[in-house]
Amino acid sequence: MSQATLPIDFRTNAQHVPPKMPASVQKATAKFLGNRAALVEALGNELWQTLRQAAHDVRLHAITNLDQYLEQAERAVTKAGGHVHWARDAAEANRIVLEMARHHQVRKVVKSKSMATEEIGLNHALEAEGIQVIETDLGEYIVQLLGMGPAHIVVPAFHLSKEEIAALFREKLGVDAPAEAEKLTQVARMKLRQEFLTAGLGISGGNFLIAETGTIVTVTNEGNGRMCTTVPPVHVAIVGIDKIVPDWESLTVLLKVLARSATGQKITCYTQFISGPPRADAETGPKESHLVLLDNGRSRILQTPETRETLLCIRCGACLNICPVFNNVGGYTYGYPISGPTGVLFASQILGVKAAGGLPFASTLCGACNDICPVKIPITEILLHLRHRVAEGDEQEKAAAPSLMRTGAQVGSVALRTPWLYRLGSSLLKWAQAPLKRDDWLAKLPPPLSRWTMARPLPAFAADFRSWWRTRSHKR
Amino acid sequence: MSTNSAGEDILAKVRTSLKRGPGQPVAPVPSTARVKPRVAGAPDAEIELLFTEIGKLNGVTRRLGGRDDLKTALAELVKVEAVQKATCWATPDLMTLDVAGTLKALGVEIVSPTAGKHQVAECELGVTGVDAALPETGTLLLRSSPERPRVVSLLPRVHLAILRRTALRADLHQAFGEAKDAGYCVLVTGPSRTSDIELTLTLGVHGPKALYVWLLDES
Repeated sequence: MSQATLPIDFRTNAQHVPPKMPASVQKATAKFLGNRAALVEALGNELWQTLRQAAHDVRLHAITNLDQYLEQAERAVTKAGGHVHWARDAAEANRIVLEMARHHQVRKVVKSKSMATEEIGLNHALEAEGIQVIETDLGEYIVQLLGMGPAHIVVPAFHLSKEEIAALFREKLGVDAPAEAEKLTQVARMKLRQEFLTAGLGISGGNFLIAETGTIVTVTNEGNGRMCTTVPPVHVAIVGIDKIVPDWESLTVLLKVLARSATGQKITCYTQFISGPPRADAETGPKESHLVLLDNGRSRILQTPETRETLLCIRCGACLNICPVFNNVGGYTYGYPISGPTGVLFASQILGVKAAGGLPFASTLCGACNDICPVKIPITEILLHLRHRVAEGDEQEKAAAPSLMRTGAQVGSVALRTPWLYRLGSSLLKWAQAPLKRDDWLAKLPPPLSRWTMARPLPAFAADFRSWWRTRSHKR
Repeated sequence: MSTNSAGEDILAKVRTSLKRGPGQPVAPVPSTARVKPRVAGAPDAEIELLFTEIGKLNGVTRRLGGRDDLKTALAELVKVEAVQKATCWATPDLMTLDVAGTLKALGVEIVSPTAGKHQVAECELGVTGVDAALPETGTLLLRSSPERPRVVSLLPRVHLAILRRTALRADLHQAFGEAKDAGYCVLVTGPSRTSDIELTLTLGVHGPKALYVWLLDES
């Protein structure tokens, strides 16, 4: 499931949402939103808005000077003794990691939660070569045992009950533990501790990459992120090129808004700053440190000014939590590892409108996501542009809407603008519908219009508007 | 500048998208992207705030008046947490305080912090210093160096951090200014936690289950 089935059919997926999904989603999102609200209130709305604006400005500055900051980061990582790899797309990124694993004769990999690796389907690529990949974030570990991907970017297994998890552990791990969060967590701790100590490679993502010093920043709670980057002999971080920030000062702002928006914490339990491998031989930590800078469509997102701000995203998940659509369908319906409003923006631009053109329509455009976004991404404006791209195409992509619909709309547009054509059309319609008309309804129409009439009848065409209006006025 | 052709390609695409030529200077970070640093309160109030915040996150705090207090506190900790093996940073401060010696005298087996990961993982207790403490969030900043192995605050079940007043910093702005060239550092805020199962808070999923922060004042 971590690799998307294309094209993504949101409407069909939405018809297969398990009945208990909305309730469990809403329980989780309500908790995060509640925690967040309390912290925002404690700061005061004025200060919060100042922080949001600053966070927006620093992210926008970073992505509009992206080439310079990437070069600076590459120089700094290299100077710190780390290795920088560039990956144009998913296949190239997977190949880099695979070669690294082969070079070090790695049989087992431990991974901390990373949406970039979900995006490129890294686990599949490694497993296909016989390398065991173990997700170590508790939620990811659980959904991996289930053979699924994350249902939420922050809490991947939030839709499962403790009874279901206990049954899963019994079946997959052979451990009989009571259905209690504490006991189940202990089981995972014991199992995963052994994996950390015996893995040959640790893989992480990166919440930020500081250009100034070439520092990979990871923001976590459980400690598995520290394990994956500290205990195995080799560490590789897969980081999207959009994750860059200019300097440490910029990060103070982003860290303040990230945890508050994500889980409603002031700061997460562990925030790690890794600049290359340990500097002294006597220092513990991985002997090799690698950074894979992933493009995979991000440089293209940058091209269109109307959609560029997609790349400001810091993956906090607040827009998922507030979204009325997400709250009713859950993460899997989006068919992409990142779900909710921000997932729609990324999926439809990275995969293209042919594969994910339905997603920009999976929104009510209510704008709650705009208001909660800690980096002030104008999400609904970008969604509207993407809808436009799907329907009519833009400088990046051709339209994806069926040509029949587009031709129909064009014909309609001409007919409605030309009075004589309009009159001709309405008399033709009256004549054409006569054999199908039953009272005031058309019960059955030939294809492709039958797609409407198989669900409900179509009101028969009464008259053209002008003549209808004349008759109506006479009656009064 | 980039070291391989994929890098050249990606940078070229980014420049095309941004309509920029190569080698353009970076504009300075706009002033609107900066926020004012926090102003620190009086030292006692800062300690009070730090301890309150650590307490909210299930950390255990204690004030110690001197080395005798430290010995007593260590004896209690060894008993409460059933410590049989421990490991400890080898920084000058912790060496002078002879934390390892005190633990040894209490019958605890001392494992070298630079021993292999398997041995350090067998310890119940890891003792570290604190390189910076941030009261606002109850956060400890720990650096890495040959005397400060990263695993000491990670692999053992219990993490004890011995804090000095001199480690207090106003906020991240100040702490980052000092730590950014360190090569590695970690911000620790409370013991390891997860809410991944039914949103129930559970401590110690991968990192330490318990965090003790002791402020040591010596007159």
